[in-house]
Amino acid sequence: MFGTQKSKHCRISPWNRGIQVSGMVAALVVTSAAGASLDEEIDRLTAEVSRHSASVHSLEQQLLHPVNTRVAVFLTLQNHQALDLDSVELFVNDQPVASHLYSATERASLEQGGVQQLFVGNMADGSHQLKTVINARAANRRFVRRELVHRFQKRPGTLRLQMTLDARAPDYEPEVTFVEWN
Amino acid sequence: MNRSSRQITRSLFALLMAMPSGFLPVHASELVPTELATGVTRFALDTGSLAPIIDLVPQLKGDSADYLRARTLLSIGQRQKAKALFERVFAGEVHRAEAALELARLAEASDERKSAVDWYQEASRVGFGELRQQAMLGLADLEREQSRADRAGQYLASMEDGYWAAVGYMNLAANFASEDLNPSRALVALRVAMAMAGQDQDQSRSRDLLDQLYLRAGYLSVRNEEYDKAIDFLEKVSLESYYTPQALYLHGLALAEKGNHRAAMQSWHRAKKFPLAFPGVTDAWLGMGRGYDLAGYPGQAGEAWLAANAAYEGERVTLDKLAQRVHQEGAYKALVEDARGADTQWFLADSRTLTQPRLAYLLRFLEGAGAQLAVRRVARLDDLTRTLSAHQHDLDVFIQALSANLASAGQAGGPGPGALADQHSQLKSALAQLRSQVASPEQAGKLGNLEQLLQASNKRLTSLDQKVAALPDVLNAQLAEARELRAGVARLQTQVSQARVLASTMLDKQVLAFVVTEQQRMVHALDKTEQQIAHLYEYLALETIGEGAR
Repeated sequence: MFGTQKSKHCRISPWNRGIQVSGMVAALVVTSAAGASLDEEIDRLTAEVSRHSASVHSLEQQLLHPVNTRVAVFLTLQNHQALDLDSVELFVNDQPVASHLYSATERASLEQGGVQQLFVGNMADGSHQLKTVINARAANRRFVRRELVHRFQKRPGTLRLQMTLDARAPDYEPEVTFVEWN
Repeated sequence: MNRSSRQITRSLFALLMAMPSGFLPVHASELVPTELATGVTRFALDTGSLAPIIDLVPQLKGDSADYLRARTLLSIGQRQKAKALFERVFAGEVHRAEAALELARLAEASDERKSAVDWYQEASRVGFGELRQQAMLGLADLEREQSRADRAGQYLASMEDGYWAAVGYMNLAANFASEDLNPSRALVALRVAMAMAGQDQDQSRSRDLLDQLYLRAGYLSVRNEEYDKAIDFLEKVSLESYYTPQALYLHGLALAEKGNHRAAMQSWHRAKKFPLAFPGVTDAWLGMGRGYDLAGYPGQAGEAWLAANAAYEGERVTLDKLAQRVHQEGAYKALVEDARGADTQWFLADSRTLTQPRLAYLLRFLEGAGAQLAVRRVARLDDLTRTLSAHQHDLDVFIQALSANLASAGQAGGPGPGALADQHSQLKSALAQLRSQVASPEQAGKLGNLEQLLQASNKRLTSLDQKVAALPDVLNAQLAEARELRAGVARLQTQVSQARVLASTMLDKQVLAFVVTEQQRMVHALDKTEQQIAHLYEYLALETIGEGAR
């Protein structure tokens, strides 16, 4: 089986092989050049669509949330190590208005000083109640679920509410403080 | 402000210029307090939802403003402008390391090696923590790519223990393994990487890297015929990892080389549960037959090889169908979208990842950087298509609602302004009467609130006439703007669709080439089993002749 065998000629002559190799290289170069120009085109389209999205968002904000009745709620973290946020639910006058389940990226962003715009809506002038339900894992490896209530007065103009979440050692009990920006 | 910075500011404001011009736009800055603007922008950039913050970005103030602007420009594909702004950030006081790191990556992406080295060096000089570690890894990798392992090693030696140093040593080990005939240097580098990865605080990241390191060390040990060492490494690979099938095959191979065929077959039997797309699984099927053969069960060996043959044939059919679907529906739908399978419960999602053949092929295909780029292109364009469709729907609703509002403008129901003014004066006098009867501070507070509310509503009532008169003009301007934006959607949809066709064709070519390679792998595996079966039949025939002769 492994005895002397007749020598075999190359299936592809070295000359042809050279042409084939250079052809393959040329095809690769052309493909990568086409890919690069397509990437540039995608970048350009992304910029245009982003601009367009901003315009639509702006129009939407004006149509859906007139300035006088607008309310926005923002969430920030005070102590970056104390709580691993799982979810936040928001109720205005006992009606659910927003709920958010956090991904690792969102958690990391909040821990690095990011501020989440949790809710934008409309409210009539007068007295209102905002209830927030926090689900989180505390630094002492406890799962916590807490309901916190804040009463506020809505006056004409946009009301911006900043909700700051904190928990301190040793019991890491979640606390929320509210700041109103008028 | 120099020329380039003026240009950048202009380009950022150009984003605002795309806003509706016929009416006063509602800026995010009106919604977001100045004190929170930086944080809101950071969160939007980190999570990829840019639309609400684009008009907020030019008005950012504070130390991080330029850095966040540069990140926004980079996110929307304006690389050159982002580069110039990152350079300005680096010349400033804060976010210097982040800016230098981004500049190094931009230079590396444009094949400007010298510039990339300079920026990585700057990032390592001014940065600390993970930023410095990433910069040092960048420097080490650039040296390693130039085959200067000693220089790369010097950079790695100056890094702190943790994930980034571990990745650096793993890459260095790959270089040593491809250059040396003896795997000692590579194994030493892998052992250092294991020690470094063990120090990582992020458990899941550390576990994944350690699995990869144990597999590599196990493979090198098997190649160097150090089977006990290989078994020790491979037994540490998690059973729920992407690297599990290959580790199980190599584990079986090491045991078989030590003569423990029964234990080897147990490992291969577990590897067989994974799709044939994963490395090591085809060999595990073959190994089962070989294991029976060496253990002295030729009948069982024949059955095992026939089963392997059937499995490979089945896989060829699967690959043929995949190629057909790529031709019919495009690779993105056939391989990427359909692999997601929405019908599986979330609690099965993890095990499904490693047992679905199509998902396994997708994971294998995506191991290549070129494949990732090709899939990312189509995914980005699909994302743009979805955004534009949502805008199209929203704008259609807006146009319909605005047209209806315009038709009914000035025909408001309910009490007229005169009646409301009467109501206001009645309430005002009633409150004034109550004010004289206040008995407690609590009552005074409540009354004060009511008076404030009444005052505010009266203010709105007095300005109502002016607003009503301006309403048709405002609605007309909004309607014109909505129509203009709607026309813009159609134009952008055409452009995105053309780019999608091009990107999809490129992906199809790459996927088809991958499928052909996989088919060849199956044909090769089939050849091997057929050879084994032929040898077995030959042996059995000779045995029968021998028995007959006796």
